Amino acid sequence: MSDFLFNPLLVKEMRDRFRSRKTMLILAVYLFVMGGIPMGFLLMDPLKAESLGDNRDLFLISAGIHYAMVCFVAPALTAGAISGERERQTLHILLTTQLSTRTIILSKLITSLAFSTLLLVASMPLYSIVMLYGSVSPEQMAQLVLFLAVNMFFLGSLGLFCSTWIKRTSISTVTTYGIAFFFVVGTGLLFFFIGESLQQTYPEQYVNSNVWSMYELQMLAGTNPIIVLSDILGESFDQSDDITFAPWLFFSCVYVVLSFVLVIWSAYLLKPIRRKWWSWKKRPVRVQ
Amino acid sequence: MVIETVHLGKRYGNLQALADLNLSIEPGKVFGFIGPNGAGKSTTMLILSTLLEQSEGEAFVCGYNVRKDPASVRQSVGYMPDFFGVYDNLTAVEYLEFYAGAYKIPASKRRALVGDLLELVNLSHKADAFVDSLSRGMQQRLGLARCLVHDPAVLILDEPASGLDPRARIELREIMKQLREMGKTIIISSHVLPELAELCDDIGVIEKGRLIAYGSVHEVSNRDTGQSRMQLRALRNLDKAGLLLASSPYVHQLTEYMGGYRFYFQGTEQQKAELLQELLDEQVAVVYYGDSKKDLEDVFLAITEGVGME
Ligand SMILES: Nc1ncnc2c1ncn2[C@@H]1O[C@H](COP(=O)(O)OP(=O)(O)OP(=O)(O)O)[C@@H](O)[C@H]1O
Ligand SMILES: [Mg+2]
Repeated sequence: MSDFLFNPLLVKEMRDRFRSRKTMLILAVYLFVMGGIPMGFLLMDPLKAESLGDNRDLFLISAGIHYAMVCFVAPALTAGAISGERERQTLHILLTTQLSTRTIILSKLITSLAFSTLLLVASMPLYSIVMLYGSVSPEQMAQLVLFLAVNMFFLGSLGLFCSTWIKRTSISTVTTYGIAFFFVVGTGLLFFFIGESLQQTYPEQYVNSNVWSMYELQMLAGTNPIIVLSDILGESFDQSDDITFAPWLFFSCVYVVLSFVLVIWSAYLLKPIRRKWWSWKKRPVRVQ
Repeated sequence: MVIETVHLGKRYGNLQALADLNLSIEPGKVFGFIGPNGAGKSTTMLILSTLLEQSEGEAFVCGYNVRKDPASVRQSVGYMPDFFGVYDNLTAVEYLEFYAGAYKIPASKRRALVGDLLELVNLSHKADAFVDSLSRGMQQRLGLARCLVHDPAVLILDEPASGLDPRARIELREIMKQLREMGKTIIISSHVLPELAELCDDIGVIEKGRLIAYGSVHEVSNRDTGQSRMQLRALRNLDKAGLLLASSPYVHQLTEYMGGYRFYFQGTEQQKAELLQELLDEQVAVVYYGDSKKDLEDVFLAITEGVGME
């Protein structure tokens, strides 16, 4: 473990990430946006003192912006991690050292997670204002933080996977955002489309909208971050009202597993010589 | 044998980039790998440094199979790619320490090691300069130092001299000689033979993925014909020399060249000496009589001509 913590790549990546001026700039912009938008809303529509503790809008806005920022920043942190090395022509050299591909992938991931954790922690004080105004339970707050952390982990792994898989950073970045878009918006749309079309096709089978309580559809809803986020915030859609399990828990489990799969798969893809688990075509084996 | 390949082959889709390569290189030897663009030199080197999987055959480095035991192979090989980048915002010392760490060399030993390596490649004065501010030649030397951090038995250098000016080439060659004296086995590739002739014990000429000549520099140069390209320069009586050469049975393809003649000589060293004696007897004021400077390149062209056409 300490072997891993002091591996030179992790040390170097951390230093590059945290010691640059760019980092401070990103942090500043991030906090400015995170704090500025809710402040703007407050200025536009000053809350009365008597409504303190009653108004949940501010919490919704802050959480929404926070999630949007995570979706925006997290993939960008890793989408160039491996393809950048490839483009700088340092990857081959790195692969001939004794660093395993798993170490390389994990070092990149941990660095990006450390930075996104910094962003998350740094924006926590802003929620103190939010909590002052809105009725937010600590439990909700904890769920929100977990939700954001899981998203960071997933989007970071996704970016890493794309940058291992795709040669060019630009294409890898676009692909990462594309796939992330599918998870954020696509799964939600699928949920509504499939539900609606099932109900239209078999109206006698699903009376009174009970199509939405189908287990498969509920699982699909549980993988959509927006539905899960609104559930955490206590604002659920009609269709996802009757989810029978805790969506945040289901969501976290699914995405953490998915992230691990992506990380392991990336490490496998990065190996120059891969052990073949399967083979599409028979390769001629030369026997001497 | 430090390096051994058995029927090694690599295909990219339909393109056979490397076919049936059988090499065996003894410890401490410098092996030159020569071939034109796209011949398969880099492909071979990538396979030997475990960065590419072969399609056919096997390759062994220090007795380890490159496919089955890549970690041990990596520990015994220092690989320098034809093109490589450096990290920005690292100094030369930090750069080498980074790779020393990547080879799991204990932190306490790194400082001294890096100092020695910089000394070896004559970069001590640039120890604290940022790597991306170094010139191409310096980066190339730093790259060579980087190959050496884990004290590998084998060095695989892919066109280390490409893009260097003549002076930097000479410096690089001097360092390479030092490494040879240290007992490293070195594989080095190039487009042109003369660059390697002085340095290498053995050379292999590769073209279109096939090894077409393999042996000592001398063997390869005088391969098949025993014919060598000669040049003569003289101050006086050049016309007499021309007549004499034209009438000699050993001389072919006589052409005028730079105030003298160039020709192919087919015969023994003894016969060469006799011809010179005849020239002197005819009062030709010979200032140069010897192998043409271009000889090795001509050999190279002659060997590679028509390969892959059949
Ligand atoms: N990744 C790849 N995909 C497809 N073909 C490739 C790939 N890499 C190399 N080749 C092909 O394999 C052949 C051998 O290439 P290689 O790089 O080994 O040549 P080389 O001898 O190193 O040439 P050069 O002197 O230009 O460096 C070439 O025809 C090249 O086009
Ligand atoms: Mg090459």
